[in-house]
Amino acid sequence: MEILAKSAFLLYTLVIVTGSVMAVSARGLVRALLGLMGVMIGVAGMYLLMAAPFVAFMQVLIYVGGVGVLIFFAIMLTRAEAHGDESGPGHVRSILNALLALLAPGVILSVVILNHPPASISEPADVGVFGLGKGMLEPYLLPFELISIILFVAMAGAVLVAWRRWGEK
Amino acid sequence: MTALTMYQMVGLFLLSVGFFGLVWRRTLIGMVISLELMINGAGLAVVAAAQLTPANGVTGQIAALFIMGIAAAEATLILAIVLVVVRRFKTSRAGEVSQMKG
Repeated sequence: MEILAKSAFLLYTLVIVTGSVMAVSARGLVRALLGLMGVMIGVAGMYLLMAAPFVAFMQVLIYVGGVGVLIFFAIMLTRAEAHGDESGPGHVRSILNALLALLAPGVILSVVILNHPPASISEPADVGVFGLGKGMLEPYLLPFELISIILFVAMAGAVLVAWRRWGEK
Repeated sequence: MTALTMYQMVGLFLLSVGFFGLVWRRTLIGMVISLELMINGAGLAVVAAAQLTPANGVTGQIAALFIMGIAAAEATLILAIVLVVVRRFKTSRAGEVSQMKG
């Protein structure tokens, strides 16, 4: 079982690495979105490996089904060209800036993580949907209600912002 | 390497690559895609920290669910703003959207 878990972890890591490289480097935005969806599915697999199946299903439902389709609609509505918007050689300075942005958090945080590894248990316990529901309705009731208000305000605000015809006085 | 360290390294990888994309991408939607990468890394690190340590697993999983909810709200708003910008400036390249007068 140990070997099986490790090979599954390796597979998901491979999916995540491939997808994220595709998401930031693909010329066309639709391909970048496909890479992002691959990353989301890989992360859902990792949630399953960590014995958090409910979070994994929510990841697939909300991210792959919701946010992915939302971004796809945005690509469609902004009429992005299939391989036009991101093409063309970049400035040397912007590539340097981007590499700096890649290395700064990566190096600092990985040094911290590798030098001070926190104690880890190898077999996580599944708290189950019952535990999660109890947690949401007893100690975390207020954040749970606030999330619904935030979602409503975001939805109403998005409709309001996109409805007004800018440029027409 | 312990299991927690491996999951945290994957989360850190997602954060770094997302940050790289955020700086490197030229269109607003490309930046949103990079942002979602970073948020996924954050969720992974939070759930790993809750499930693979003696800490309370319920707290971490609920935190991950809240992160997902807030990410969905944020994506909705960002995409509405991008739509308005594209309608107003006829482009979604971040470098060309520099006029602030309404």
